[in-house]
Amino acid sequence: MNAVVRQFRDFFVSLQLTVVLLILSLLLVFVATLDQVNLGIWAVQAKYFRSFFVMWQVPGSNVAIPIFPGGYFIGGMLLTNLICAHVYRFAFNFKKLGIQLAHSGLILLLLGELITGLLQVDNNMRLEEGETKHYSESFRDNELAILDRTNPAYDDVVAIPEAVLADEGTIQHPKLPFVVKVKAYYANATLQMGDPAGRPGAPVATQGIGARVQVLPLALTYKPDERNLPAVFVEIIGPAGSAGTWVVSPVVGMPQTFSFEGHTWELVFRFKRTYHPFALTLLKFSHDKYPGTEIPKNFSSRVRVKSDDGRDDREVLIYMNNPLRHGGFTFYQAGFENNDKVTILQVVGNPGWLLPYIACIMMGLGLVIQFGQSLRGFIRKRTAAAAAP
Amino acid sequence: MLIRRSVCFALLALLLVNGCKDRQITAYRALKDPAPAAMPPAMASTNAGALPEGHPPIDGRSSSQTQPAPGGMAGTAVPTAGGSGLTWTAPAAWTVKPNGSMRKGSFAIKSDSGEADLSITAFPGATGGLEANLNRWRGQVGLPPQSPTEVTAAVEKFSAHGLDFMLVDYAGGGNRLIGAIVPFGGNSWFFKLMGPDALVAGQKDAFREFLHTVKEPAP
Repeated sequence: MNAVVRQFRDFFVSLQLTVVLLILSLLLVFVATLDQVNLGIWAVQAKYFRSFFVMWQVPGSNVAIPIFPGGYFIGGMLLTNLICAHVYRFAFNFKKLGIQLAHSGLILLLLGELITGLLQVDNNMRLEEGETKHYSESFRDNELAILDRTNPAYDDVVAIPEAVLADEGTIQHPKLPFVVKVKAYYANATLQMGDPAGRPGAPVATQGIGARVQVLPLALTYKPDERNLPAVFVEIIGPAGSAGTWVVSPVVGMPQTFSFEGHTWELVFRFKRTYHPFALTLLKFSHDKYPGTEIPKNFSSRVRVKSDDGRDDREVLIYMNNPLRHGGFTFYQAGFENNDKVTILQVVGNPGWLLPYIACIMMGLGLVIQFGQSLRGFIRKRTAAAAAP
Repeated sequence: MLIRRSVCFALLALLLVNGCKDRQITAYRALKDPAPAAMPPAMASTNAGALPEGHPPIDGRSSSQTQPAPGGMAGTAVPTAGGSGLTWTAPAAWTVKPNGSMRKGSFAIKSDSGEADLSITAFPGATGGLEANLNRWRGQVGLPPQSPTEVTAAVEKFSAHGLDFMLVDYAGGGNRLIGAIVPFGGNSWFFKLMGPDALVAGQKDAFREFLHTVKEPAP
């Protein structure tokens, strides 16, 4: 083994590294908790935990410099450290079973969080009584959906996430016969009626509602009960030249359609959708109160679940602590609206949801074995000492 | 050693994948959203009735936009008021504009110095209350919000054709907003004239006369 590799190995298997990383994560959690006052929980998670480095924006510029390792960096290093130490020192014997089990549990827990971070879907589904939906919508993420509405039976959708729009670049996609050029992106904005040319500096929309409104940028909000409403100027450019510029925003309540090469297209800026291979229909929402009071007793939604392949078609009652689990997703009763005519279900899909449970069982079992062995040894010593003359 | 190295690489790759997750452009085929169930069927006709009496339909646009779009965004559309409408007669000098999806009536008032916009909208209920609506209007001409008592003290009230009008006049930042709120048939109707200060101020009497033509349609 050459010297460089050995140095690497010694670094990654060392206990000092573990201690340093644990201290760093303590500091990270402390600072992030304090910063929640300013940023709210989602922005804090993104800035401190679901990132490799905590970035600091130099005031008055676009330059961001890393000032502290982020959650992914520390977690990743801890995981590497743990696995390396495991592989390096691994020697199975019964005496170490407890320790091995506890550490494997910890590795599984870290991996579980990684899988959750990568793959978890946390959406909601808003259903009016009698309404059927095939999709759920994100709470926070937006997307620009470009729909080919030509076929009367279905739409062909190309969904562009907000993060891509934020780059203000040019977007090409094999399913689109045109190029989408993002001329301006505002993370939070409002629209008001007025001449679009009345706001110098902003691009001028020529089509759809954009020709009659002005876009006013707003400061970003981090409050948990408020939502940033982005607005984007997009220009549709075909081989023959520009087809016009549109303003799209979730604020726009009307469909914006246009024709291009014989097809009808629609631009919608909406909550990011996840389509499911099954449909939910709200049959009845019930809001029971304790007799003679306004105190809620129970919220429940009677829904019909119908899978596309026809294998499943049943009615279920969703209420507190009794969610519907179907197709890898869990539907919880989360809210209601509009005089009890609309139910809001929280839709959570996490392929790694079992991992933390397994990890905790492994760690618990490992610790019980470890301490059980010590206890046995201790008792044995005492009985031996007591038996001695 | 090989195992150890490959494990480290696999981890690093897994972590880096995350950076791309939020940036994936997806393409799929989806069923059309069902046509909205809750759209009041009277809406299209209400809107046509909101045009000045004897006025020809406006370029077919308002009626096509108020019909429930096939699929479409109806689920997120702001509900405007259903039920029966009001009618009015506008001065000949005002230019009729397309209503769009939100407006019941829409006019442009032009002069050499610029253009003022008159919008007529209606929404169910009290839409947040009188004070909130007036303070929203104040904000549109850059005036600070006032307390409920202050803001309602400046309201001029009058009645015409059995309707109760609440009229306000706000000026700020070179612009002026003259607006009237009328509760009618369980809805709040908003008549808002906004534009350059001098132009709108010059139209105040005409606007007041216009409000006096607003009435319930004859049965």
